[in-house]
Amino acid sequence: MIKGYAGRVLEIDLASKQFTFKPLDEDIARDYIGGKGYGTRLLYDRTDAGIDPLGPENPLIFATGPLNGSVAPQSNRFAVVCKSPLTGGIGNATCGGNYAHGMKRAGIDVIVVSHQSESPVRIEINGDRDEVNFIDASDLWGLGTYETQEKLGKKLAHAVIGPAGENKVLYAGIVSNERIAGRTGVGAVMGSKNLKAISITGSRKLEMDDPEAFKSYTKEVRELFKDHPVLGSSMKRFGTAGIVNTTNGRGILPTRNFQRGHFDGAMTISGEWMEDHELKGVKTSCIHCPVTCGRDVEIEGKGVVKGPEYETLALMGSNLEIGDLEAINVWNYHADDMGMDTISLGASLSFAMELKERGIWDAGVSFGDPEGVSGLILDIGHRRGAGDEIANGAKKMSEKFGGHEFAMHVKGLEMSAYDPRGSFAQGVEYATTNRGGCHVQGASMYMESVGPLTINPQNMKLKADIPVLMQNNACAINSMVLCIFTTYGMIPKAIHEMDPDSFGHRAISKVFENLGPMMRLAMGMKGKPMMWFEKWLTYITGTTFSSGHLQEIGGRIFNLERMYNLREGLTGKEDTLPPRMLNESIFENMDSGHPLGELLPRYYKIRGWDADGVPLRSTLDKLRLEV
Amino acid sequence: MSIQVELTYDMGKAIGEHRFEVEAAATVADVVEQTRQRFKEGGDEFAKLAHVTRVAVNGVLVKHSKGMKTALKDGDRVGFVKASAGG
Ligand code: SF4
Repeated sequence: MIKGYAGRVLEIDLASKQFTFKPLDEDIARDYIGGKGYGTRLLYDRTDAGIDPLGPENPLIFATGPLNGSVAPQSNRFAVVCKSPLTGGIGNATCGGNYAHGMKRAGIDVIVVSHQSESPVRIEINGDRDEVNFIDASDLWGLGTYETQEKLGKKLAHAVIGPAGENKVLYAGIVSNERIAGRTGVGAVMGSKNLKAISITGSRKLEMDDPEAFKSYTKEVRELFKDHPVLGSSMKRFGTAGIVNTTNGRGILPTRNFQRGHFDGAMTISGEWMEDHELKGVKTSCIHCPVTCGRDVEIEGKGVVKGPEYETLALMGSNLEIGDLEAINVWNYHADDMGMDTISLGASLSFAMELKERGIWDAGVSFGDPEGVSGLILDIGHRRGAGDEIANGAKKMSEKFGGHEFAMHVKGLEMSAYDPRGSFAQGVEYATTNRGGCHVQGASMYMESVGPLTINPQNMKLKADIPVLMQNNACAINSMVLCIFTTYGMIPKAIHEMDPDSFGHRAISKVFENLGPMMRLAMGMKGKPMMWFEKWLTYITGTTFSSGHLQEIGGRIFNLERMYNLREGLTGKEDTLPPRMLNESIFENMDSGHPLGELLPRYYKIRGWDADGVPLRSTLDKLRLEV
Repeated sequence: MSIQVELTYDMGKAIGEHRFEVEAAATVADVVEQTRQRFKEGGDEFAKLAHVTRVAVNGVLVKHSKGMKTALKDGDRVGFVKASAGG
């Protein structure tokens, strides 16, 4: 077995309550690393087109990668892969916490959960004894994710759902500790299987090819992170919420269901404000991560709980035109406890508010008014009253009530909190990302509009190139499985510290902006490992991984997801943005919205796809992608 | 004529206000100068914070238009923005 892998796949059949341990497929591991890549390959190979995402044929795949189980910073995530009930296409999400670590300690790389249990069940796995126990979970059914995990105790690592998953809210997630595999409705798929929780334990150690090199290099990386302006400073101080004022200043903070990109009340929902006014001094972290981007807040009646992330503050704050941090803290708690993705939840709520504003449908909540939101979130989790409609997400609501032009989703997945009209590459990324409107399948905005580089995010230069490179990179990162925030460390400290008006900084930005093809060439070169994650992979597995290797593997995974979507009937027509993003201008320097029509053909060309967005045979052959 | 000025958190903390209006400012340079005035003795502090800060008018960095000479009109918003990363 390749080093870094436990070498085992656990197959669980919930209908027969049987399980088997099978050897990990080394060919898949070599070609797709693990995590999201491995899971996507399994999903593609094992399922027929057109299955019901909430039916028994949809497998729920939990997958780790070779970095999990090590002490490498940020190497604590597992991927969940299945067909998405929200989009009807590829579904996946990753999650921090300690569950990935638990899987590797149990000597298991991948768990495939098939079919459905007739009644609520939970699974306990002891990897040392090769035991898998199916336990009646009626006593836990209906409980929130906090209480469920509390009842399950601290001895094992858990992945659980809350009422939202049980009730098949289409954007329900799977929770481990305080973290959530939030996107695409993976929690609803777990709920459809009547599976409340998987708990896992073991005491196996990860075998590495060169443990000494790994150990000494990891020490270096910890120092590098400590010293980095993002990973060692701003993320540590403000968490992801540190970006609220930046997106607001750049006019891309979603406000009033993306009607505007600036919110006057942004300061009071910012990370800096939270640090001074709200935080209880506790910064939390996923296992083995020195970044500690989580932060705790206190809410009435519940005590100290996890505070909101940037996406929550934006989608459930500015996007609802509500600057009441205390209220958002409570909503965030409810969403976490119900086990719901706050991005989809926020954009579905803002859609409901705009429906009301236009006199189309009244869910009882309005822009700028916190009244009623708390109760509605609980109603969504339990699918009660108006909550039952909002639980289906913005796309399905727009199909029922109308309002397609202001339903803020791509392929059915609600869009994240970076308005693409001020971040063109991010817009291309939203439009083309296989799981839909998401920012952590590439994070192009960091390279063009919010990070330390100051390229013009509103011209055509590099706007089709950046998404390709970043999406490939993210596919690889999500397969190792590392936290995507590691990419924020890719721009070195020296650039962060330069005066953005200095000659040197301008020169770097100009060179960067004008070197699209060269950049693709440079990143595509197979040479020595340079970045920390390339070196870790190399030390752990014994195989050389450089940027070129990861671009190739990432490209293979991305194209496989694409082929999966095409098989499910999601074509190039779905590579679009909400009409509001394309037609309505929020910047004086633009007559219209995002210029996707101009950028998409370029993107397809770089990808090696035809004019309809279908990968060419030569592209698939080059990637050695069998479909 | 009224221009809305928005400072970064640290800048605002240094002078005790994050948002304020300036009445007469023809260009971005005028706003920067008036903001500097507000810092009074804290001019050094402003310079230090401005060093890693970009200036945007209505969300667009002035370096992509006419820089400090960018002309302003009534109701414009001039923001000091730092680079950041979120998720
Ligand atoms: S950066 Fe934050 S989300 Fe990522 S692993 Fe570290 S603590 Fe978890």
